[in-house]
Amino acid sequence: MSHAMHANKLTKHYWVWPIAWYLFLGGLGGGILFVAGVLEVVYHVGHVLALGTFVGVALLGIGSFLLIFELGQPKVFLRVFLSGTAIIKYGATMLVLAMLFGFVFFLFYLPPNWNLFYYGWTWMRDLSAVAMLVLGLGIMVYTGVLLSTMKSKPFWNTPLLPVLFTVSALSTATALLGVLAGQWPTAEYAEALAQKASQFIGSPYASLEQVEEVVHMLHLADSMLVLVEVVVLLIYVLGMRAAGNVTAKAVALEWVSGSKAVFFWVGMVCLGTLLPFFLYLAGGGAAAWAAPLLVLGGGLLLRFMVVYSDRRCAIPGEERYYRRLPQGDEKFFRPWKAPY
Amino acid sequence: MTRYAMVMDQRRCIGCQSCTVACRTWNELPMDIIYNPVVTEGVLGVFPHVHQTFTPLICMHCDNPPCTICCPCKASQQDPDGIVWVDETKCMGCKVCVNSCPYGARDVNAAEGFVRKCTFCKDRVRDGEQPYCVATCHQKARVFGDLDDPQSDVSKLVNSLQANRIFTELGTDPQVYYLPDLGGVK
Repeated sequence: MSHAMHANKLTKHYWVWPIAWYLFLGGLGGGILFVAGVLEVVYHVGHVLALGTFVGVALLGIGSFLLIFELGQPKVFLRVFLSGTAIIKYGATMLVLAMLFGFVFFLFYLPPNWNLFYYGWTWMRDLSAVAMLVLGLGIMVYTGVLLSTMKSKPFWNTPLLPVLFTVSALSTATALLGVLAGQWPTAEYAEALAQKASQFIGSPYASLEQVEEVVHMLHLADSMLVLVEVVVLLIYVLGMRAAGNVTAKAVALEWVSGSKAVFFWVGMVCLGTLLPFFLYLAGGGAAAWAAPLLVLGGGLLLRFMVVYSDRRCAIPGEERYYRRLPQGDEKFFRPWKAPY
Repeated sequence: MTRYAMVMDQRRCIGCQSCTVACRTWNELPMDIIYNPVVTEGVLGVFPHVHQTFTPLICMHCDNPPCTICCPCKASQQDPDGIVWVDETKCMGCKVCVNSCPYGARDVNAAEGFVRKCTFCKDRVRDGEQPYCVATCHQKARVFGDLDDPQSDVSKLVNSLQANRIFTELGTDPQVYYLPDLGGVK
């Protein structure tokens, strides 16, 4: 960029699409590990969720890649672990550990004849499940806390944002797990797996009944979660509209009746949460495919909308100053250089 | 101890933006980054008694800076004399400090990748000189000095007059003080 491009610093977005995608993927991956961890610890159905766990780890990996890709100086990214006070440091640590434990957990459901390690180490699988539960919860909460601690951004600086992000992470994770549950290991494969390592792997195999039971549980949970999500979302946005400061009100007004209103009312409230609720009630293919897709789309839209709502409180006079700076002034500069 | 602070005398500022240009020169800023804009408020008042107020903005070098605790790299830091600065070789460019600053004092250039901000010209100050914006201000609207020295100009101004600060409600404890222009009343 050889020529000056003055952005309006009040409206400039310093965090853009990679961060929005990361917040979505981090919440989704963390949520998947959390839900899989809970179901394994309580119901011992990890074999139904093996593929989901792997996908969760992969999504966290893609999210981490986006984080590093977005950095201004990626070559020093390892310094992220140095500070003791930064929220990002704890988030990055939890990401790395969650991916590690999630992958170890997944390894237990690989074909036993690969002989990767001793399958009798069930304590390692149990430890991984507990670690996934704790770290997944941490990641879900941290993505919202990171934004909500910013006193400079009135629309983010509210305790409701971590709640909304956590509920959204849970609902998207439950939706994706419902799609992936029982896809792999399949019943036949799992039976072979169980015969090979029956004395070590707790549950025998992913029978069709068990898969159906887990999927039913996930659908039921997700239908509740999307309802909670829409309630939190409406309280958050309408509360900001009613009781936020000047800047937060202006942003909320954009959501409620301004340029983002279509995305908010149609995209998030109707298609992202309310319609999936009824589709889950309907059951069948609608609950199996359409509802989870809509929930995932709604979660992604939520992260984009929030990340692009990063307006800062203006100091009196600031708005006019930045509005009057030359913006995209290449045409202005070239005539001064060209003749000589 | 030393605690550097700045006083902006808005009764004297005429909004000429010499400080903006001087800062750009001394710190060799990229074209799209401004450390110290001078913004205009007004027209205020009711005709015929109208006036404008000029507010020179700069990093507030807060006593409780939100931009240093959020830095995961320990690149954004505060020295014991209160100067908040970024070590550009340690900054990974995550922009969390840019977002956390309520004053918009930080910016980042896509070509450079690291976060930049006002350093109170610490290279000059530690040699016993004034920051370049202060040295440039021909209206003497900017006063720089040590708040811990009761005989310094900033101490006297801060303690003797109604000195305002921006966004104190956020708990940042900013250390740039404004002596308001009371509609031309001297």
